[in-house]
Amino acid sequence: MSNLHKVLVIEDEQNICNFLRTVLETHDYQVLLANSGSNGKTMFLSHNPDLVILDLGLPDIDGTELIKMIRQESEVPIIVLSARSNEKDKVLSLDLGANDYVTKPFGTEELLARVRAAIRSNRFGGGVRPASQKFVLQDMVINYDARIITIEKKEIKLTQTEYNIVELLSIHAGRVLTYAEIVKKVWGYSDSGSIKKLQVNMANIRKKFGEKPGEYKYILNELGVGYRMNADTEENTE
Amino acid sequence: MKKYWHIIKNCAFSICVWSVFVIISVGVEEWLDSVTMVPAIFALAVFLISLYTDGYVYGIVASLLSVLVLNYAFTFPFLKFNFSIPENLISAIIMLSITILSSALATKVKNQEKIKAETYKETMRANLLRAVSHDLRTPLTTIYGCSCAIEEKMEDLSKEQLLQLIRGIKEDSQWLIGMVENLLSVTRIDNTGVKIVKTPTVLEELVDIVLMRFKKRYPGQKIQVDIPEEFISIPMDAVLIEQVIVNILENAVQHAVGMTRLELKVFTKGNQAIFEIIDDGCGIEKELLGNIFTGYFEMKEKEAPVDNQKRSMGIGLSVCSSIISAHGGKISAENRKEGGCVFRFVLDMEEEECE
Repeated sequence: MSNLHKVLVIEDEQNICNFLRTVLETHDYQVLLANSGSNGKTMFLSHNPDLVILDLGLPDIDGTELIKMIRQESEVPIIVLSARSNEKDKVLSLDLGANDYVTKPFGTEELLARVRAAIRSNRFGGGVRPASQKFVLQDMVINYDARIITIEKKEIKLTQTEYNIVELLSIHAGRVLTYAEIVKKVWGYSDSGSIKKLQVNMANIRKKFGEKPGEYKYILNELGVGYRMNADTEENTE
Repeated sequence: MKKYWHIIKNCAFSICVWSVFVIISVGVEEWLDSVTMVPAIFALAVFLISLYTDGYVYGIVASLLSVLVLNYAFTFPFLKFNFSIPENLISAIIMLSITILSSALATKVKNQEKIKAETYKETMRANLLRAVSHDLRTPLTTIYGCSCAIEEKMEDLSKEQLLQLIRGIKEDSQWLIGMVENLLSVTRIDNTGVKIVKTPTVLEELVDIVLMRFKKRYPGQKIQVDIPEEFISIPMDAVLIEQVIVNILENAVQHAVGMTRLELKVFTKGNQAIFEIIDDGCGIEKELLGNIFTGYFEMKEKEAPVDNQKRSMGIGLSVCSSIISAHGGKISAENRKEGGCVFRFVLDMEEEECE
């Protein structure tokens, strides 16, 4: 790539910064470092990055505040670094507009996969359905106009609801959508049973796609948080 | 609500015991035609009530009532209150003393039990802390040592040596990650004090997450999965149950010598979901089987240090058992006739609360 993607890393831990910088630079990203929230804010406004990697536990500003601030300005993809076993933080960040999260501790593979997916998701137009276009992921093709999904050129018969879910996820490919967000966009309302309804539909979709647990390659699982359409073809099993 | 229930229970108990003993007293009086036994019978009633109710109130009320009834019905002049006779007064005082003393005694015993339970918990925690800190030293030694070696001798090291040191760092940090996840699981149960938060979790998705996480750590190990076809949702703290399954699978990989097959099987029976992790390895020694889930916490300080992997098994399984019991489920391990062993845990599928 002639044009390097600019990645803004907002993280106060020096060692993690070094690690992120090394990994990203060796994979042809241009890295900008900010060691505090306020610093990150100014860097964001002045450098117009292609991706923001944001640690939630910053010393000066709450990470979620920063997400809100960035979202007011732009649709740039945001990846949040969070601790595992903290679904609340994850869901909150996603609902505020973060694209994805990586749980600490993470390896290089995982990080790079998320970075690629996030940058790619932005190229898809950040959630706007491209008119008369197809979505292609490995051997799956979604024809938006005809509302037809094929895998290995065979049509997969889905119900209206099932198709709507898949379409929604594909439009936001690479981005984790929370259960609540999907329910709201697919059904238009939510009640006490709607998450379960979504989960049942998802189970049926996967059955029709012929996917088995541990080998999901189209729609990935974010347990307790939501679902994500895979957007990274280099991502094998992660 | 709970508080009222408590009071009602105590009242009901007191009233029942007291009425039964009044009836007995009347019976005894009729039968022997003498009232000499009656005060002793009432003393017993008051003692029982003080012993099995909370606090002093019920005992004191019962004893006052007893004094009144004794005075009214069982002492001269019959069916009349008379506190002018010194005997009656003395018996009343004795009755009250019995009550207060036995209530005090009962409270003391109850308190001691509470203290004992707390001390036990405290000991467990101290044991865990000691064992963990001890365990942490080994991987830290590797990580620290290897990185020092690399920093100092960078130029003198061959590429192969360098790679070996780095692999050591990676391996031991992975071990540390596992350990920290387990410790976090324990605190997730302990800290809240209340019951864990259960959310309906789709079995398929749980299994998916487990397999993904496992594959990352042990890419070569295949797991056979056998779960029901139908949609199953089980209320649980998914992060914790994920940890349980991963721990048991890891345990199999590390300790089931000669294993060729590892299976994760889930089925439902009535209102319960039964998870089984089955291997065909060497099985578990009989002496170990008894306290396989508690071994780590009960480990003596002076016990010979075991190597890292064995120790991590200890904490992993102990964590499993506390997670499952926090869920109100059951966990067990047994050897199979065909060889190898099976770990089994059971969760309730009844939804307590919808979101």
